[in-house]
Amino acid sequence: MIKKLFLPVILIIVISGLCLANSWKAPDQEKAKERSKETVPFIKEYVDDCKINRRICLMDAKVSLEDVKDVYFLLDSPVIKEKEDHYEPVRFAHKRHAALTKDCSKCHHFRPKDKDALETTRCSACHQDAFNPERPERIGLKAAYHQQCIACHKDEAKGPTGCKECHLQHVPDHKELVKLPDNADPFQVTAECNRCHDAQAEDMLKTAHWLWKGPSPYTTGHRKDILHGKGTTALNNY
Amino acid sequence: MPKKEVDLKKVAQNVGHTSRATCGACHFNGGGGDAIKHADMSRQLLKPDRNCDVHMGGYDFSCTECHETRNHKISGRSSSVPVAEGETSCQQCHGESPHYCGDLLDHHLDNHAKSIDCNVCHAPVFAKCKPTKTWWDWSKAGDKKRKPKKDKYGKPDYNWKKGEFKWEESAVPDYAWYSGYMNRVLMGDKVDLNLDIINLTSPVGSINDPLSKITPFKIMKGIQAVDADHYHILVPHLYPRNKEDKTAYWKHLDWEKAFVDGMNAVNLEYSGSYKWKETWMYWRLDHEVMPANMALSCVQCHDSLKGERTCNRCHQDNRNVDFKKYTRKGTDFSYMKSKGRDVGHLIDKTDYINFKALGYKGDPIIYGGRFKKLPMGYSQKDKKE
Repeated sequence: MIKKLFLPVILIIVISGLCLANSWKAPDQEKAKERSKETVPFIKEYVDDCKINRRICLMDAKVSLEDVKDVYFLLDSPVIKEKEDHYEPVRFAHKRHAALTKDCSKCHHFRPKDKDALETTRCSACHQDAFNPERPERIGLKAAYHQQCIACHKDEAKGPTGCKECHLQHVPDHKELVKLPDNADPFQVTAECNRCHDAQAEDMLKTAHWLWKGPSPYTTGHRKDILHGKGTTALNNY
Repeated sequence: MPKKEVDLKKVAQNVGHTSRATCGACHFNGGGGDAIKHADMSRQLLKPDRNCDVHMGGYDFSCTECHETRNHKISGRSSSVPVAEGETSCQQCHGESPHYCGDLLDHHLDNHAKSIDCNVCHAPVFAKCKPTKTWWDWSKAGDKKRKPKKDKYGKPDYNWKKGEFKWEESAVPDYAWYSGYMNRVLMGDKVDLNLDIINLTSPVGSINDPLSKITPFKIMKGIQAVDADHYHILVPHLYPRNKEDKTAYWKHLDWEKAFVDGMNAVNLEYSGSYKWKETWMYWRLDHEVMPANMALSCVQCHDSLKGERTCNRCHQDNRNVDFKKYTRKGTDFSYMKSKGRDVGHLIDKTDYINFKALGYKGDPIIYGGRFKKLPMGYSQKDKKE
């Protein structure tokens, strides 16, 4: 019996060892990714409270920062992804936003009608598919995220409002876009990149990473200079 | 030019976002190899432990999420080179009042943030994942017979091309007042040979400037050559240009030839005589931020909180608060030691940042802060000289 068990156990150890070695993961990010993949049942009925009542309810329920167990989210959901997928998910510091706004009702603006439900619930419980014929008044999850974040950031004159200020845009697959012969030389490659990215190439030529020199606004005696850097005057002892 | 074996078509067809690997290909190897130059950046950050760097190890941040770019200009203020194309700071995400949990301590911590850089507490040791070079004596180079010895980290103390080295792991930074500006010696600047130590870079700041903060630095120390008559830092020609090269130090081991060629290449006069001088470079520590629960605790800097009387000197709190626990909650060097880090000597350390060296009379709790004294009727007995 022991012998029979021995081989599979060793195999499992070796295989899991190999997996561990090859699959580094950032734990907080991984947790947020897993959570963002979850879908929850749709909440059909909610309490149609006014804003003030809602805030009072949350205060009366003594919902505080200490109740914020999920400190960090990725704003992403299969509900959005199945329709379109152009951007990476947005990092959202949930607890920090709770602390800064000091008002949970800003986002948790309604509550489920079910009395046993928690005071606060996920965005994606009430906001799912857009243009749901059964709930035409309910905006979809993507619109809910965008309206909530952008409107508040505009009101507060604080926080990002542009697409790429929150999202990283997916890079389109370049397998078909790039047209090059096999064994292309570096000049051919650059020319092919520039076919579409000419403006970016012009930008690149003006950067410190290309020129190895540039403005030195924080160097005493040289604050108006634009020629210092590794390519010109920087010294070191290593 | 890329190596011939590289399939450039395949590379072009697989373009993608920048990553820690793309930026790190150069920046993790500053100074000629992994972790040599930057104390807080190394190839360890490709797959870092959460305790090593919470942003990259916990949340998988890529470089450009903090070092935001615009038109290919990358923000960030290096301390080793003068060029800057924008600024990156902890505050751009965390704000000026970053301690928000409503904890009993947060009010005090946010006040601290006005006078000390985040990383004083949040990255109390540098090079904690990999040893970094902290001493480089070029004057000892050239001895091909000298056999390099390995230090306790397994790092060599010598290389005939480069000279003598010292390495440090999980080291306590040097702390200095810093306002954002740096003094730098640039090529062709005259230096003072009478000084014992020449600072190639040093932070501008003062205890009296409200905008200056106590900031952690790795100081790269070493010995290098200075023109004895013109007082320029000398630039040697090290790496042979080709097989016929007649002057490169790494081929001929002749400093004289290397300096003549090197200074000629940078269009500066060389007098023909040189002196070996000790030089220092201050490099700010901005990465390797540890998880919040590993930040320094109050008592690790404030010696005065070590005994029985802590916050209850001022606060007569009747909420049954254990002040002692609060002041001691923080970096656990015993835990770090158990994980193999070289921090045994830091366990139970107080006065971590050395207040006197920063211009205070002593622990500010007893002697007062830089702009105000707390109204705490201390007796002279408390002020032990």
